Amino acid sequence: MSDERGIPRREFLKSAIAIGGTAAFSACLGREEVDVPTGPDDLSSYPQRQHAWNEVLPRDDHGNIIAPSHRVLLYLNYRRDGQPNEDDRDQVETALRGIEHAYERSGDGLLLTVSYSPAYFYRFDDSLPDDVDLPDPEALAPFEEPEFDTPDAVVHLASNTAQVVLGAEEALKGNKSTLNGVDQPDAALTDVFSLADRRTGFIGDGLPAENADDAEGVPADKVPEDAPLFMGFKSGFKKNQASEDRVTIQSGPFAGGTTQHISKLQLNLNQWYNQDDRWQREAKMFCPYHAENDVIEGAGDNLGTSSKIDDCQPTDETAREMGVVGHSQKSARARDDDDSPLILRRDFDSTDGGAASLHFLALQRRITDFVDTREAMNGTDVTEQSAVGQRNNNGILQYIRTERRGNFLVPPRSLRALPPGQPAGDAQEVTHESS
Amino acid sequence: MNRRTFLRQGAALSGGLLLSGCLGQLGFETQSAWRDPPLVEDRPDAVYYPAIIEGMGMYGTTTAGDLGFALMHSFPHRFWNLTGSRKTKVVVQSDDSVHLMASVWDTETETILPVDVSVEISNSDGRVSSTNLWPMISPNMGFHYGDNIALPGEGQYDVTLQIGPLQTARTNPFDGRFTEGQSATMQFTFDTDETYNLEIRRLGDKAGTRGTVDLMDMEMVPEPVVPTKSELPGRLLHEGQSSDATILVALVDGDHRFSDSDGPFLIVSPRTPYNRVMLPRMALSATLDRGGDTITQGTLQASLDPDLGSFYGMGLDELETGDTVRLTVETPPQLARHDGYETAFLDMDPVEFTVE
Repeated sequence: MSDERGIPRREFLKSAIAIGGTAAFSACLGREEVDVPTGPDDLSSYPQRQHAWNEVLPRDDHGNIIAPSHRVLLYLNYRRDGQPNEDDRDQVETALRGIEHAYERSGDGLLLTVSYSPAYFYRFDDSLPDDVDLPDPEALAPFEEPEFDTPDAVVHLASNTAQVVLGAEEALKGNKSTLNGVDQPDAALTDVFSLADRRTGFIGDGLPAENADDAEGVPADKVPEDAPLFMGFKSGFKKNQASEDRVTIQSGPFAGGTTQHISKLQLNLNQWYNQDDRWQREAKMFCPYHAENDVIEGAGDNLGTSSKIDDCQPTDETAREMGVVGHSQKSARARDDDDSPLILRRDFDSTDGGAASLHFLALQRRITDFVDTREAMNGTDVTEQSAVGQRNNNGILQYIRTERRGNFLVPPRSLRALPPGQPAGDAQEVTHESS
Repeated sequence: MNRRTFLRQGAALSGGLLLSGCLGQLGFETQSAWRDPPLVEDRPDAVYYPAIIEGMGMYGTTTAGDLGFALMHSFPHRFWNLTGSRKTKVVVQSDDSVHLMASVWDTETETILPVDVSVEISNSDGRVSSTNLWPMISPNMGFHYGDNIALPGEGQYDVTLQIGPLQTARTNPFDGRFTEGQSATMQFTFDTDETYNLEIRRLGDKAGTRGTVDLMDMEMVPEPVVPTKSELPGRLLHEGQSSDATILVALVDGDHRFSDSDGPFLIVSPRTPYNRVMLPRMALSATLDRGGDTITQGTLQASLDPDLGSFYGMGLDELETGDTVRLTVETPPQLARHDGYETAFLDMDPVEFTVE
């Protein structure tokens, strides 16, 4: 890795995630001067909800959760045909516990989920319980033709520390005998699974601008230096996110779990930055009211805890009168009776394959909640009654192309290792119901 | 092509206008002249002759199902992007190679479809580019879809053109049609000799005066035009102008195909002056006054008809002599504009007339 010497530390770290491997990991160790605490010997206090990340993540001045910066998604295929056996389950659980012992569960440490696709569950005679809404992935707009991800499982690794993500990945692949000073078990995830795909990414103030050179078609110097995402604006405002309670499955053997939709969206940043102006970007990302009234400063940190969609007019009105509807303005229509958004975004940007893209990872109680949210974002109802196009002036649809979609079940922790389709008994009671 | 050959050709074809940015990827220097070609200084708020007209070449046509797809190319273009009445000048970027254009039509009726087109371009190395084209209007092409595209170099490319369903309403003959997406694949060879040797016409003294050039004759592609005044069905009520758009208003009565309900039906057919180019992507509403009272008010439904092309319509209970019809343009045609159209059809005044 001697040729990385000239690269500034931070820039190297994000590239390292994309490259992966033991060499990248070793190089990170020397460049990230951090001391990540190890995890506990006894993991029994870890929450049943694999997706319960918020309590251990830092918050910004407004109280918004700050998403972990570095991400890896490992798409895995179970090597065995038919139903899993107990040995394989032990192997998976042992490997996962190995990395949990190595790094504490925190933003600077390691956060992870393991999830399973509908294709995985087809191996069982019994279909999933009614409490679990996990259909096969499908196209979610009449103008998209995505490919569908059908590997059996996806492991999501996240940390604010690049070496943690890389180290955990290498340990899961059986390439580390010790990790963060902790002996690793003689059990590799990759003995049980084959690796079908590896997706990587980043989110956080400044990271997209630093990564811009790694992707074709990202206009030089156009991605704002402090923006957390390629499109230049902050997202994941507290009031625009569903709570972890809201996305948690409430009953049945998978209670405490959630469903996960992951799409890969290619971004056209040339059109976004070179062919639109700031007014258009604000109007299309948020709503015309925000653009007209200079509501958004920079990446939008000044908005506080929400995208302030209440100030926007209804979508049909701005569509007719202004010829444009905003992305947030449309998406905000997908809410439940308690006025809560339906999905919890845990998405991140990527330069995988040398193209600027977004891995849109969202958690929701039922996949239907995601479908409803995406339908609101499509704004088909708006286009039929206005000059707003199917994509043009229709939120950010002009600038994104859906390449892949996949649906997964994130089971409760106790079932995270090769779960059966119909587990016996109920998982641990969900205690903090919100809805 | 080496640099010397290029320079000679560049000078020969453009008469001093320097080719530029589009060639950056091919090893040529970027020149500002091409990035922002000459623009007429005093432009009327109307359709006008631009300083230059850039030629267009056909890559080919194909069909998928009952839809026709055409793929065309030209020099990377400057254009104006439109959101509401707000326009943004889009200059050519240094790595833009070609202005790629597409049109889609119904092969049975030769009706041009205002459906958003996306393209995905790949070569033997894999995917090169993908983009959602902008709906556009230009003097010699009329309504089409297009964008400036960066390609890694000359050579053969595969392209997939994809559309979604038609978002507007449709009249009876089109019932059940254009309800699903469709895609078509084609190949093209990007050859700088071919694209950058397309004709550039300088319009000289005409530049900046009101008027426009004829649409190019594209044998295999239907013209994106709407019917003449005399071809409109029913009774012509009014011929109005708004921000240089011609707006024809007709009324059909009795048995007609335009709505399921009985009663007269108001047809509004906006078009460009001179060439009758269709103007989709507008939001229009109508107010009907009788004896000082408003008796009807509502939105006009954007629609597609095999004879009328893109039009806007509304069913009425009745319309009497002496009634006043006021058509309000809530959103002007949301089409990106090439030189010559960027000052027209923007701040569009209402059209008002009394029924005779």
